Amino acid sequence: MMQLFIGITAIIGTIIIYYVALKIHDKYHYPFTLPMLIATIIIVLILLITPISYDSYMIGGEWINKLLSPAVVALAYPLYMERKLLKKLVVPILVGTTIGALVGISTGVLLAKWAGFGEEILLTISSKSVTTPISMAITESLDGITSLAAVFVVIAGVSGAVLHSYIYKFTKIHHYLGKGIGLGSASHGIGTAAALENSQLEGSISSIAMSISAVIVSVITPWMMVLLL
Amino acid sequence: MVKVMKITLHIIILCLLSSLGNWIQHTFQLLIPGSVIGMLILFVLLFFNIVKLSWIDEGAKFMVRHLTLFFIPATVGIIDYLDLFLGKGILLFFIVIISTILVMVSSGWISQWLMTRKERG
Repeated sequence: MMQLFIGITAIIGTIIIYYVALKIHDKYHYPFTLPMLIATIIIVLILLITPISYDSYMIGGEWINKLLSPAVVALAYPLYMERKLLKKLVVPILVGTTIGALVGISTGVLLAKWAGFGEEILLTISSKSVTTPISMAITESLDGITSLAAVFVVIAGVSGAVLHSYIYKFTKIHHYLGKGIGLGSASHGIGTAAALENSQLEGSISSIAMSISAVIVSVITPWMMVLLL
Repeated sequence: MVKVMKITLHIIILCLLSSLGNWIQHTFQLLIPGSVIGMLILFVLLFFNIVKLSWIDEGAKFMVRHLTLFFIPATVGIIDYLDLFLGKGILLFFIVIISTILVMVSSGWISQWLMTRKERG
């Protein structure tokens, strides 16, 4: 009974906080007021201040988390709506995501190696650019630290979603294709959510980039680690 | 009210597809996550008109619009690792961000370059 109560409170609480974060973002429209970032910070602060643990929050959180998988399936909808255009863009999408996958694995691993971190961390950081379930699966097969992989994935996602407008301005990437591929390759689903806010087209390209990147990274990471370690 | 029921029904269909995707992943031991497999299946089904757009559109639009919400509980999981980022571990935080920026710029720039070249010529 208590479990059920905690669960329902966590679900309703998360939805309310998400709603508040959306309102804040509407009113103060800056990259760092990204609803994802604000909602996460609010919930983390609540959990730190109150005696509620992450595990008890997740009794309800798990239910929202379960909907993540069908939400990814739903990305087929914008993809289908933009199918005619996407067909024309196969080459730049494939080339862009492949380059992104190579850069993501090599720079993450080499920077961490240069900073003096051990092999276990290098294996864990390698797949941080792809969506959580894949990154965790890759990390597990490489004998890295699975739960830490999820943390790196979150940092890659949120930082990309927050910083992308500054980065694109600075590097003069203004075409929807480049923006979508950059967000999807670097920041997976969280980046795709940010791209969808810009336009359906950019969001569709981002979701394709994220999916292709997931496939490429899971295939090449084990081989690249042989070269990089 | 009709719209709420429609959205719910559509989301149930999306859940079934994601379960199918997960089942395929487990059965064939694939590294591609079940959700991405489910997305590809739905795309193919829509493409060949086996699934009508009107069976899923309201639910899909709703879920895509609120995609952020579904990531929140997993993202809050970072709370268990706050200690790690005290001390030397904070370097990892910056390394991930730098690498993310490099991925975004390289993949975005190269595809934009290919695209503008194509559009001109």
